[in-house]
Formats: sequence, structure tokens, C-alpha cells
Amino acid sequence: MMIGISMIFPLIWAFYYREKEIIVFIISIIATFLSGFVLSEIKSQDEGLRLIEGLGVVSLGWAAFSAFGALPFFLSGTLGYLDAYFETMSGFTTTGATVIQNIDILPKSIIFWRAMTQWIGGMGIIVLAVAILPALSIGGMQLFNAESPGPKIDKLKPQVRDTAKILYGVYLIFTAVEIILLIIGGMGFFDASCYTFSTLATGGFSTKNLSVAYYNNPFIEGVIILFMYVSGANFMLHYAALKGKIEYFKNKEFLFYSAIITSSIIIIAADLRYSVYTNIIDAIRYSSFQVVSIITTTGFVSSNFDAYPALSRMILLLLMFIGGCACSTGGGIKNIRILILLKYFYREIYQFIHPNAILAIKVGEDTISDDVIKGIMGFFIGYISIFIIATVLVTSYGIDLITSISSVATTLGNVGPGMGLVGPMYTFSFLPNFVKIVLTFCMWAGRLEIFSVMILFMPDFWKE
Amino acid sequence: MRLNPVLHILGQLLQVVSISMILPLLCGIYYHENESYIFLLCILITLIAGTSLKLLFKEENIRLIEGFSVVSFCWIIIPIFGSLPLYLSGNISFIDAYFETISGFTTTGASVISNVEILPKCILFWRSFTIWLGGIGIVVLALVILPALSVGGRQIFLPEQSGPKLDKLKPQVREVGKIIYGVYIFFTCAQIFLLVLSGMNLFDASCHSFGALGTGGFSTKNTSIGFYNSLKIESVIILFMFLGATSFSLHYTALRGKITYLKDSEFVLYLSILAFSILLVTLDISYQLHENLSVAFRHAIFNVVSISSTTGYATTDFNLWPDFSKLILIILMLIGGCAGGTAGAIKVVRILLLVKVSLRELYKIIHPNAIFQIKLNGKIIPEDILQGVGGFYFLYMITFGLCSLIMLAFGNDLLTSISSVATTLGGVGPGLSLVGPMATYGFLPSIPKLVLCFCMLAGRLELITLFALFIPSYWKE
Repeated sequence: MMIGISMIFPLIWAFYYREKEIIVFIISIIATFLSGFVLSEIKSQDEGLRLIEGLGVVSLGWAAFSAFGALPFFLSGTLGYLDAYFETMSGFTTTGATVIQNIDILPKSIIFWRAMTQWIGGMGIIVLAVAILPALSIGGMQLFNAESPGPKIDKLKPQVRDTAKILYGVYLIFTAVEIILLIIGGMGFFDASCYTFSTLATGGFSTKNLSVAYYNNPFIEGVIILFMYVSGANFMLHYAALKGKIEYFKNKEFLFYSAIITSSIIIIAADLRYSVYTNIIDAIRYSSFQVVSIITTTGFVSSNFDAYPALSRMILLLLMFIGGCACSTGGGIKNIRILILLKYFYREIYQFIHPNAILAIKVGEDTISDDVIKGIMGFFIGYISIFIIATVLVTSYGIDLITSISSVATTLGNVGPGMGLVGPMYTFSFLPNFVKIVLTFCMWAGRLEIFSVMILFMPDFWKE
Repeated sequence: MRLNPVLHILGQLLQVVSISMILPLLCGIYYHENESYIFLLCILITLIAGTSLKLLFKEENIRLIEGFSVVSFCWIIIPIFGSLPLYLSGNISFIDAYFETISGFTTTGASVISNVEILPKCILFWRSFTIWLGGIGIVVLALVILPALSVGGRQIFLPEQSGPKLDKLKPQVREVGKIIYGVYIFFTCAQIFLLVLSGMNLFDASCHSFGALGTGGFSTKNTSIGFYNSLKIESVIILFMFLGATSFSLHYTALRGKITYLKDSEFVLYLSILAFSILLVTLDISYQLHENLSVAFRHAIFNVVSISSTTGYATTDFNLWPDFSKLILIILMLIGGCAGGTAGAIKVVRILLLVKVSLRELYKIIHPNAIFQIKLNGKIIPEDILQGVGGFYFLYMITFGLCSLIMLAFGNDLLTSISSVATTLGGVGPGLSLVGPMATYGFLPSIPKLVLCFCMLAGRLELITLFALFIPSYWKE
């Protein structure tokens, strides 16, 4: 039902621009409301959700929301239903991979809805990351249980609301600030809001075919870089900062994230300086935009990074795997997991030399328990396995290696554009239907941290 | 760590190497080749170096930690002496010769020599023989030393805790070593015999036997096994590559009359991975390249077994296969063969455990209070082994990523860089694109060659053994 309400916004736009798509949105809203109503009647007893059921609701919810969210695209005749579903899933999972070849000719209301799906998705992700994953110990995320007043035992609802409310506040403030800054930078109100929705949710849908490159405006790029960077960082930190406690530089994950960004920017800028751009300023400008856009899993484009030299492309590909920080809207494996895994294997080597030494792994002040490490390891293996299986499936349709590898990496990490035939200047529309389904699954699984989707396939989960 | 006993053992091993150079010397004399005198010289140099090391440094009982420095040192230093014949015979630079010899001793089979057919026979023989020597060292390493050191979860292979305890490493190595040498030599003879029966001459038969059983992959022909185009030869080599890639302790029990192959879950998984890949590749080649199904099957089975056993022989230029088959080959390069064989890479048993670890996490979400234990062949696997395996996997992926980046930084294309690192880290040999089965590594600049040498060593020594050398506290007494 929330989706139905949120569709009212594009409806207003449609009225405003006097577009004939009004009727499309009205139909979609009615359909969504009706089915939402029917579903809530079914479980009218309103039992308190148990945690594991909450997880099921979230996972299935993402898939179901996309089914309804796809209606405007489908009914307006923009896309076939599968394409519409791909596009909407890409929005709700804040991926930003698109099948629409020419965005410029689309009606404004559809473009607005497309951008808005990401913003809604971003809100969902924050709740997922802050409340549900830690409570269920998914992929080592129980790590964040102590810091956040996450729900402990059985009833999910009340506490999720509290945490979520606070973070939604942060999210809304950032949204407002970015819209204002972009308007100052010379964008229209419509474009500014669409870009803001995309940035904050680390989605990457644009209102122009050329993405951010269309504006070719350093100020706009600067604003977007800043907000992508902010959205890729832990929202709990932002909340603390807004309350007056600046904890950014005490947070190891944030430092690690910043260090990766800085070093990638330097390497890519150096690489570009010797191949594409003769001017060091340009090299830094484009590399910093692209690095931040990829690592935060946004996927905006300010220059065609598929034309970069092989080294830069490989670094961008690796960044797709790393992704943002925990409790952010970014996707990927997440920095905290990479950091803990690195510490963990240093310990392995150290213990190998000193077999009797006992070394605890610490991140900042906190000691990381073995359970967390096991969770992270399981997650890492699961992530890589899905990556490999999906890539094999995609190549089996005769698609070349670079395209396959990057398209799976980019959808699994919820980035958006890939390389080769799905590069930043192309779309996913030419792919065979089956491949689109595989990639849709990757977006879904990647967004819900693999395990939340995988449990749906376990028979045990469905037992009472 | 005390250097004394380590260098003492290194001296002993160098003596063994110098003695084993007598074989190519004999070969050279038999074929009346001028290069024979080179071997005479090398034997002398190696013998002097070995004996002086042995005399200069006292023998002491070594501890475990020193045991594995012996291993790391050997694989770095022995190839220096081993590369002398190649270097002195002219034509190639020292880095190339070192690359080629490391590739032999680590049973990789990556070559920098573009035309092997013009090389003198004794050099070819020595080149293949390094693989054989390396292979035997690896089996002992895999079955005795690494388990005792708990490298990357290797402890599983300690037979019922009767393995070497903390202090005395030597007697155990000798005992297990002897048995394995027996199996190894038996297989070698059997293979030479079968290859001669299928129509190879004795010289080629021995070189290819060394290459197949050590899962190395040096050939005496430029077009590798494709040269013979003989079904019999291919099947013999497939069989022995497969045997080389599976656990030698299974072979040992089988030779004693107890067939336990199908009770071993690693073996069964390996077999199914192979069957599945062969099926997919066959379908892909016959469909995309419009090959006859039986031709496709013949190429698929040979090259899949060759890559997955990390041997690297080729019957066709698989670089021309469709991308789907190429991807499968890259994945096989990363998986590798079974632990306890001569194959490299991550190893099937680790993959098996990793999948189980991952599934356990999934179960834990649904049943948060249940306790799950992971079993292999009916035995419960302790947590520290699982952690070791996870650490190893992560380390492998990081090394793979970083080395690929370095290769890319030298201006190689994406596929060449990724596949060359995957292939050397896994000890396979040929890669894809510019380093494909019909090409060599000769064109690469020196630094990428050294990076690949590092990969071969790191992969062979199971990463941690080599990485430990970079940690300062390791060098303290």
C-alpha cells in the first residue's frame, strides 16, 4: 500500500506537465491498493512478526513491490513487462541498470517514478541494514547489534519503527540539501530531484542519456560526488554527526573506505593522465567522479569509463565488489567485511608462525567474535559462488566474457553500468530474456545480502 | 628460526639435484650432443654448492617452523641451479631460464621457449625431469609437511594423528616419502610403457610421462599432444593426468588391494566436476563451432582433464573456443585437483568444505539455536580447520586480484592478465588470449615474468608458507 501512495507523486507531476500518462498511474495506483488491501485482509489477525518471518517479508516484498512498481512502465507502453520488471527491480534495489535506450523522449512522470523507485528502495535498505540484518546475524552483521538499539528477541515491529524514523530523518535532510545545492548548480527542479533520489539511494538512474556527463559542470559533479560519498558511508555516523558528535575519523570502516577511494583515484588518475587526458586536472576530475560513483555502487557516469585503459577498468571492476559501508545505501560486499577478512588472514599467517599465540581480531575498540568471522566468511563464499554461477549462465548465451563478468558484478553489487556491451554508453536492453532474469535475480540477491534470498529456497524456511 | 639446519638440508637436496642431472647427461652422451659438457659443468657446480652448504652448516634436529622454511627455500633456490643448463646452453636470458625452471619445479608447465623442437634432447629431458622432481616433492609436501603445519586447513589429512608431532619431522617424512616414491615411480614406469606401446619413442614417452604425472605439462613438441593426433596416446595421458591430480594416499591403498576411491567425497566431487564440465564444453563446442559431436567430445575431455588437473597439455588451441568454454576453463584453473596429488590451485576438498560452511550459515539463520557440525567422509571437521580453509580461499582471491592488477599495469589486456595469473597461481601452464596454449610467455617484460614466478611459487607453496617469509617475527630465533 505504501507503493500505491508513493505513486501519487508522479501522478502530480503528470498533472503538472499535462501528460496523457495520468491514466496509467491512476490505474496502477488502484491496482496496487486493491491487492495491498486484499493481502492485509488475509492476515488481518495482525500477529507480531517474528524475526525470520520479517526477513521473508522483506525478501518477498522486494520482489512483489517490483511487480507492481513495473506497472506504470508497462501500461504506458514504454517497455514490455519483463523489461519493466527489470527496470523497476533495478530501481528498488538501487542498482541503476537500465533497459531504456532513449530516456530523453520519455514522459516526465515516468522518469520521475523511475527515479523515485530508487529513493523508496534506499529507505527500505536502511531499515534492512540497521534493524533486520544485525538482529538475524546475517553475513556477520550481528556486529552492529551492540551499536544500534536493534530488536533483540521476538517482536520486530516497534523498534524497527524507532530506528527507521531517526534514519529517515537523516535521509530526508540530505535529500533536501542536495536538491537545493543542485538547483544552485543550475539544474531545474525536476532534474535536481531526480538526481538527488538517485544519488542518495546510490542508484544511478539519470534523466539524460548521457547521465551526468550531459551537464559537463564541475560544480554539479562536485555536489554529486559529495552526496554519493555520504550515502556510501554508515548512516549511523551521519546521525551521530547531526547530533553534534563527529565520529567519522574514529570509525575504522569509514577510514578504510576513504583510503580505498583515495588510492583508487590516484592510480586511475595517473593511468588516465598517460593515456586518455593530457591534463592532470581533467584526469583527477573524471577519475574521482568515476571511482566514487562505482565504489558507492551508484553508477553515474561523467565519462565513458569503458574506454579507459585495462588497469583502470580492472580497478573499477574490483571496486564493484567492495561496495559501500555497512548501514548505508551502497551495495557490494561492504568495506567492513573486507576489512575484517584482511585482519583475519593476517592473523592466520601470524598464528602459523606462532602456533600457540592467541590473537583477537579488533576493529577499533571492539573485539570481533568468531561467529562474526564465520558469518562473513560464509557471506563472502556465497557472494563469489553466485557471481561465478551467474556468469557461467550469462556466457552460456554466447555473450562475451567481459560483458558477462561485468554485468553480473555490476548487478550483484547494485552498481548499474558494466563494461563491454553493457558499458556506460549502452543499456541492458539487447540481452536475451533469460539473461535479464538472471541479472534481475542478481540485483535482488545482492541487495538482500545473498542469504535473505537464499533462505527462500530452503524447504526448512517454509515449515511452521 | 635457525638458519643452520635449514641450509644444511638445502645442501643435501642440492646434492640430490646434482645427482639427478646425471640422467640428462647420459641422454646427451647417447645422442652425441655437444651440450653434454654443460651438464657436466652444472653437476659440478651444484655438487660443490651443495656439499659446501652441507659442510658449512651443522646438522640439527629441525622443528616444524624450520621444516617449512626448508620447503620455501628449496623451491626458490633449487631452480637457480636447475636453470643453469638452460642458461648456459645459450639462447635465453637468465630470467627466462629461471622462469622456465621454476615453472618445471612447481609443475606449472608455463614456457617461454617458442620453438622447443630445435632444442637439444638433453635439455628437453632435463626440462621435463624438473617437473617430475617437483611433483614428487609436492606429494611429500602435501601429505606430510603441510598437514603437520596446519597450512590452510590441511590438518584434515593427518592420518589419525599419527603424523609428525611437534619436534621431530625427519623420520616421518622419510617413511611416508618412501611409500609415495614407490607409487610415483610405479606409475611413471607404467605410463612410459603404455605410451611406447601406443607408438611414441622412448625419449618422448619418458618426457611426456614426467609431464603428465607431475601435472606439469612441458611437451617436446610445439603443438603439445596435438602433434600426435592419436587417440591411444591421448587416452593414456588423460588417465595419468587424472591419477596425478587425485590423492596419492588413495592410490597407495588401491595398490594394496583396497579400492576406496568412491568412499572419498573429494574424489567423487572431483569426478562430478570433471564430468559436468566435459559435458558443457562438448555441447558448447559442437554447437558454437559446428564440430562433429565425437570430435568435440574428444577435445573437450582431453583439455578439461588437462586444465583441471593443472597439467596444461593441449590437443587443440582452446583459445579459439567460445567464451563460455573459456570461462569454464578459467574456473577449473581456480579449482584445481585433489589435495594429496600433484595438482595445484585451491583444491577440490577446500571447495567442498567452503560450500558446506556457506550452507551452514544459511541453516543458522533459520535455526538460530541449533549447532551444526561439518562432516567430511563421516568425520567431524574442527572449527580451526574450517577457519584455515576460509582464510586460504580469501588469500588466494586477494593474491589473484592483486597480481592481475600488476599484470594489467604493464599494459596487458584483461583476459591475458587474468588468465596468466590464474594459470600460474594454479600451476596449470597455458592461459588464454596472448598466453594461450599455442603461444608462450616469452614476449612479456621481465617484471611481469617475475610476478608470474612469484605466483607459481606462492600457489605451489599454498600461499601461507611463502607469505610467512614476509613477516619480520618469522626471522627471529
